[in-house]
Amino acid sequence: MNTQFKGLHRRHFLRGAGALVALPTLESIGFRRSAGAAQTATATPPKRLVFLGFGFGVTQETWFPALEQTGADYDLPEGLKPLSRHKEDITVVQGCSNQFSNEAHWGSTFWLTGANRFAAPGQSMSNSISADQVAARQLGQHTRYASVQLGSTDASASGHGPGLSLAWDQYGKPVAGFNTPVEVFHKLFSADNLPLEQRQAAMAEQRSVLDAVLTEARRVQRGLTKTDKDKLGEYFQGIRDIETRLSKDKEWLEVPKAKPPIDEPEPGLKGREEIKVMYDLIVAALQTDSTRVMTYRQPVKNLLTSLDLDVAPHNMSHYSPGQRMEASKKRDEVQSELVAGLIDRLKATKEVDGSSLFDHVALAYGSNIRSIHFLDNCPTVLTGGGANLKLGQHLVLPKDTPLSNVWLTMLQGIGMNAERHGDSTGIVKELKA
Amino acid sequence: MARITYTTCIATLYLCAFARATPPEARLPEKHRAFFKSHCLDCHDSETREGNVDLEKLPFRIATIEQAELWQKVLNALNAGEMPPEDSEQPGNTEKTDFLDDLARTMVIARQVLADSGGKITMRRLNRREYRNTIRHLLGVYVNVESLPADGGSGTFDTTGASLFLSSDQFEKYLKLGRIAIDEVFERRTTAGRKPMLFRFEPEETVNVGNERQIKNMEEEHERFMRWKAGVDKAAATPENLAKIAELSKTTPRINNPTRFYYYANLLEGTPDPKDFGFRDAQRAAFSHQGGYLRKYPYFKHYAALPHNDRGAYLKLAWGVCRFDISPPPKKLPSGTYIMRVRAGVVEGSPSSRHFIEIGHPQRRNGVRAGFAGFPLSSHQITGTIRQPEIVETQLEISAHTQREFGIQERQPTNTKSLRNAYNRDKRNNGYGTDPAIWIDWIELEGPQPEDGTPSPLRTILSRHPSRDGSEAERARAIFTEFTNAAFRGEKPEETFIDKLLAIFEVRRKAGDPFDVAIRTPLSVILASPGFLYLNEPGNETERRELNDHELAVRLAYFLWSAPPDRQLLDLAERNELHRPRVLREQVNRLIADSSSDEFVSGFVHQWLNMERLDFFQFDANLHRDFDENVRAAAREEVYQSFAHLLRGGEDNRLDKLLKSDYVFINGLLANYYGIDGVTGDAFRKIKLPADSVRGGLLGMAAIHAMGSDGVVSSPVERGAWVLRYLLNDPPPPAPPNVPQLSRLKDQLLTTRERLLTHQAEAQCASCHRKIDPIGFGLENFNAAGKWRTTDSYQPAVAKKQRAKKGKSWEIDVSGAFHQGPVFGDYHELRELIAEREEDFARGFTQHLIEYALGRPFGFTDADLANEIANSARSKQFAVSEFVHSLVQSEAFRTK
Repeated sequence: MNTQFKGLHRRHFLRGAGALVALPTLESIGFRRSAGAAQTATATPPKRLVFLGFGFGVTQETWFPALEQTGADYDLPEGLKPLSRHKEDITVVQGCSNQFSNEAHWGSTFWLTGANRFAAPGQSMSNSISADQVAARQLGQHTRYASVQLGSTDASASGHGPGLSLAWDQYGKPVAGFNTPVEVFHKLFSADNLPLEQRQAAMAEQRSVLDAVLTEARRVQRGLTKTDKDKLGEYFQGIRDIETRLSKDKEWLEVPKAKPPIDEPEPGLKGREEIKVMYDLIVAALQTDSTRVMTYRQPVKNLLTSLDLDVAPHNMSHYSPGQRMEASKKRDEVQSELVAGLIDRLKATKEVDGSSLFDHVALAYGSNIRSIHFLDNCPTVLTGGGANLKLGQHLVLPKDTPLSNVWLTMLQGIGMNAERHGDSTGIVKELKA
Repeated sequence: MARITYTTCIATLYLCAFARATPPEARLPEKHRAFFKSHCLDCHDSETREGNVDLEKLPFRIATIEQAELWQKVLNALNAGEMPPEDSEQPGNTEKTDFLDDLARTMVIARQVLADSGGKITMRRLNRREYRNTIRHLLGVYVNVESLPADGGSGTFDTTGASLFLSSDQFEKYLKLGRIAIDEVFERRTTAGRKPMLFRFEPEETVNVGNERQIKNMEEEHERFMRWKAGVDKAAATPENLAKIAELSKTTPRINNPTRFYYYANLLEGTPDPKDFGFRDAQRAAFSHQGGYLRKYPYFKHYAALPHNDRGAYLKLAWGVCRFDISPPPKKLPSGTYIMRVRAGVVEGSPSSRHFIEIGHPQRRNGVRAGFAGFPLSSHQITGTIRQPEIVETQLEISAHTQREFGIQERQPTNTKSLRNAYNRDKRNNGYGTDPAIWIDWIELEGPQPEDGTPSPLRTILSRHPSRDGSEAERARAIFTEFTNAAFRGEKPEETFIDKLLAIFEVRRKAGDPFDVAIRTPLSVILASPGFLYLNEPGNETERRELNDHELAVRLAYFLWSAPPDRQLLDLAERNELHRPRVLREQVNRLIADSSSDEFVSGFVHQWLNMERLDFFQFDANLHRDFDENVRAAAREEVYQSFAHLLRGGEDNRLDKLLKSDYVFINGLLANYYGIDGVTGDAFRKIKLPADSVRGGLLGMAAIHAMGSDGVVSSPVERGAWVLRYLLNDPPPPAPPNVPQLSRLKDQLLTTRERLLTHQAEAQCASCHRKIDPIGFGLENFNAAGKWRTTDSYQPAVAKKQRAKKGKSWEIDVSGAFHQGPVFGDYHELRELIAEREEDFARGFTQHLIEYALGRPFGFTDADLANEIANSARSKQFAVSEFVHSLVQSEAFRTK
């Protein structure tokens, strides 16, 4: 179920300089009709892709716009109200789901992958590549970090399900993330004060460590059955992944990190402030072109705590009128407020060519869980001009349209050469501007 | 023995499988052909392909994953009531229910058939528990495995190799955790042999002094407030201000509250400046009165005037210092084992449910002197009095990752709002607030305690090669070789591996690291190597081979200890004796008798009975105050201890004691919770029950009922499904997603039973719920937290600030009947009927045990094995240990 690439020699022209390389791809799929001229300018800002996932869904009664009000003329319901000032900048999509999802508490595991958990016989769990990682394979070649995953310390209680972040690699293995703003800040901006020699020594040691365990892995491999060899294959793959990362680190060893456009966050931020600062870091990372692909598996438990809502996230997700439902609605409202703030900042951040960062970002905000135990009509809000989507509308798609169709539309929109993603059956034409 | 038989054809098929051991087919009975044809193929035949769905070629025998997926879609569409569409002819209810019933069951079988590994056991890596125990065994320290991804869950055991994955990130985590553990070994080495430090905390010297100080502060603040207040009152009496107040009270009715009034003083003309009275603003001034003096002063005064304050102090439950901390400078608490002693007594006349303290790491999110970071580490019953206090002693572990300080407080729910509500109620009654229940004389912390027992393998290896021995390189090589050997459970490493470790060491050494530091990275590399992480057994593609004794020792130890084999097992393997049936039997008995098998008990039972549900919900502290984290932990332990008791044999060893027994395994806390008199202390032990007790057996345990609730109300559906799944071995198909909650009935005044019977109105729900619900209703005498009740009530929920709606109460009637089975009049009769189903229970248990022990999903190929084990156990009256013996002696366990 991997995303497939056409174009055998993509690497060949992707190795060029900066943003220009995206051009042939864009034209080849004929998606951005008006892209031609604008893209030929030398200082065209690159495309970016961002996913924000919240675990336990939303309050369905007060979050979804009325089904009969579609198109540009619709009322934002209570749960999305804080996004009013950006009504023109967002599109709310209804009707999508991941057909194979069957775990009512897994709001993030298959959100970006659309995979079938039971696809591998005898395994209780299998997954496939997530949409962000598809983009990272191309967009990540030009930046220090191919992608950056953000998360929180409360993931296990926030309804996300298995995984280390929203991202899953091409083998369907979880990709780790950074769970506190301070960690993210240091990763992105902290200058490595160690002398070059010492950093080289540290890398050399890492290589020796990998070399040593590979020797060992080869010994263990001898005499194993085929199934067991396959199992050990995960270990080999893990080591190879680290080697790839080390090679990339080496290339960037002498390039100093970007200057941080924001101050180092306070340690220990939880909930509302934590999300706000993470959003600042997303803007900072994109603005400095430290990476072009980001995901954020947002905290729910911490958010409730920070709002003095004395109810556990799972309890809240099973709301019925009363304290639990009030908490659920408050969560919706604050989350929407935070996203509205993020859009403000994306718009306020200028690119070299005078356009705003917002114009070059494709962003999706949502969850694999709608509400309670419902896995259909996944809440989905799209924003940003990066994928050239038709914004400012309420789009109601046929029931159970694969959510992967939306991801595919975004991927193609930012110039990825993907033909398929997850269980996609095609792009969502109504989303195209 | 009377047996209830469920005569669905699939159940029969299932039983046949046990007898004949031919893997069954996942085949939907032919009788449904007509239904399928008339209600599905009309539109979804190959020609019409409505909605691009072609069902015509879909066979009734499910043989591939693709077919299973398509059938699953059919099932989902029918369950959701989407198909057949409204405008087409609708099937009859019975017809539809039967079709759904069979299809759902066929899907369950299909999943099993498709997942059947044909007896193949996939190599597995250590799961989280095993990793922690193995590090503990090798190094003598505890690692915090929270950062590793959780294994198992959602219906698989954490021993199932095929479902245990590894990624680059995890590899890095192993390196890091290994390093932390090795650093700790060196830290412990430096403190070993030192005399333990003793810290003592006398609360009268701190808590009571602080209490007095706060009283003084409140009095002084109160005096300033009263002077300011006088000025405000005077100013407020002017006609302009009176008019202003009248105006304000339209939008802010709170201003009419005589206490709240002062929060708005700044809105009036001519009121005195709070700053002149030492308050930042009117809000602060008003709060000092309302939230300070009025709320707490009488409480603090009351506590200050209590007797015995000169020798100790009382634990408070709301406001003030509720938690007594013992927090010496962290440096003075190196990692190791500590003993904490608390000398305490209870206040005469206070309720016995409050006679417990809990120990934990103090929360430091805010300065409030109450609450822990995370759940309590332990709870302890206080049985002494203030005149004759008792010393409670407990052992605590400090590791690299632990917060180096402890606190104690009276047991309490983690959601403390209910405590404040109770405080306000008490204050209205007695004028000051909640009375104390526990008095503390002093707290002591002593450690690190001298290490007992044999030193860990790494410590032994390190001391075997002291610094005076040979060249550094030789020394390092010897240490690496020996430690690799230990870490790989006796497997010999290759020289090239050791060479590479040595090279890493030498680079570090040249860079200036001392020897003891330079060897640490290589040592942690060993702990991230496949030889350590994987339980690898070379195998043969074409035929199974017998495990050698060494491999058998490893398998056995990880099965029953979740830890590596000990010296005795390895010695027996060395001498090639372990595989002898008699020796194997002796060893199984030895491993089971050892306390290390607690790991098997908790690991297996937790997953077998799906006890992760116990932690799903936070319990409503207003409704179930006693069901705090301490009781939750004790309730979990009750299940484990009851099983361990049967496993370790003696007079009770029959598996069916879990269905019904005339005793319970409880400690003082649970006895108090269950209302059983005469049991005190923290140790779990067997207590005989009166003949008519509702306790005894799993169905009498709080944990089981709490799992079947949402923390507020009981869930007969969860309970009924659980009984079918784990006690009767008749698992209902998994609950379909996207089915509406029954909240559409939320405003109607119905009993729980009336509410749930709507499940059975729709065919797609009835197919399962007619089996599930009667059993769940039969357990309704247990509330959400497992306490006994005879009445229940329903209160429609209302939004904040709305007036409460009229509720409904009723006498619980649990009588009912199994679907197509016998009737029962009350809980006792229901339990009796379930207890008669020992055979079914044993069969389900066997299947789960096989899955756990062999580390692969139970498949139809295992039917013979399951039969063999069940038969052998039956010949020993279903003694729990006999299942284990029979499994260990089986060919499946002894071959790869």
